[in-house]
Amino acid sequence: MSNENITKEEIATIFPKVAETMADALGCDKEKVKLDASLIGDLGAESIDFLDIIFRLERAFKVKIPRGKIVEEARGQLSESEFEKGGVVTDAGVARLKSFLSEVPPERFKTPLKSAEIPKLFTTETFCKMVIRQQRATAADGGAKPA
Amino acid sequence: MNEPKIIDSGLSGGIAIVTGGSRGIGRAIVEILAASGMEVIFTFRDNSAAANEVIAANPGKKISAEQVDARDSAACAAFAEKIIDRTEKIDLLVNNAGVIRDNLLAMLDDDDIKAVLDTNVTGTFNMTRAVAPYMISKRRGKIVNISSVSGEKGGRGQTNYAASKGAINALTKALAVELAPRGITVNAVAPGVIETEMSRTVRELAGDQIQSRILLKRIGKPEDIANAVWFLSSKFADYITGEILHVDGGFKME
Repeated sequence: MSNENITKEEIATIFPKVAETMADALGCDKEKVKLDASLIGDLGAESIDFLDIIFRLERAFKVKIPRGKIVEEARGQLSESEFEKGGVVTDAGVARLKSFLSEVPPERFKTPLKSAEIPKLFTTETFCKMVIRQQRATAADGGAKPA
Repeated sequence: MNEPKIIDSGLSGGIAIVTGGSRGIGRAIVEILAASGMEVIFTFRDNSAAANEVIAANPGKKISAEQVDARDSAACAAFAEKIIDRTEKIDLLVNNAGVIRDNLLAMLDDDDIKAVLDTNVTGTFNMTRAVAPYMISKRRGKIVNISSVSGEKGGRGQTNYAASKGAINALTKALAVELAPRGITVNAVAPGVIETEMSRTVRELAGDQIQSRILLKRIGKPEDIANAVWFLSSKFADYITGEILHVDGGFKME
């Protein structure tokens, strides 16, 4: 589950297809979908677009991405109360997010960071990593099945 | 039922899912949509004989049936995915599957409450969650939920059923807000007392009393409901969303 194990080469391999999928979902030019583009800030995505993007990525890459689990996954080992208090992400939570979303430039992390604003941090690369994690999980599941 | 001869409803060539389509109102909905040129895939829970009868009674129509329990979210997801893999689109979802377990509140047992809420409410959630992402992706689609007059005007012995249909009304309105940005309409049809197997006990118990409360002085037919569903599914209702269309002969007005 550690981000560090996802290589730039792996991301580069799937990026064109991810960019194309996102462009289709958002109705924008593929060229506009840069790897570091913020989905909400740069590409004008709304919350319902995330559902559409995830759905399209699932079909494009034949993986299952758990719906509504993105933030939960970002939280990692931290409990809900360790991660956020009163709708604001704790210091420990921000540290965890900065590690999990290592592709997001540090200056984009506002202080204080509201939990509801976490999706604003997501970039194209965030979704590339999400797909890679699920591809690995699918491969691991497949390997675990009896022949 | 005479085959409708309405031209260009915008339905021809579309793909429709109707839950609980083997009997009563569901069957009438399946038949009118298929008669309008849609391919209709309907679900049934356990009565395969009734499901086969619908198909046999409509030769030449694109109707197929699949055993899916709407209470099972994984089964709903797999069902929708299977259709998409073949057709690449779902134009219409009619959430019709429902059960009734009428009794006075104090007499209801746990299962009477759970069965009604699970099928009528959770079942609608499950199938809608399974289908909506495909519609969102296509930026088009229509969802029609079958509610009931009980959703607004519940009668004695109908707390569980009335609560479930009230939930359907609320779901319809909230989902309409959520899906409007993607051009998807969400409406409901609220039948009054309709001549079906499901409402037989209610009708028998109430007798003439019910009829006297219906302004049009007759019990509704499944086709009366199917006609309203057809309208809300057609291009003629493109500008209608978040509505509960009462088809009850004026029952709720008294």
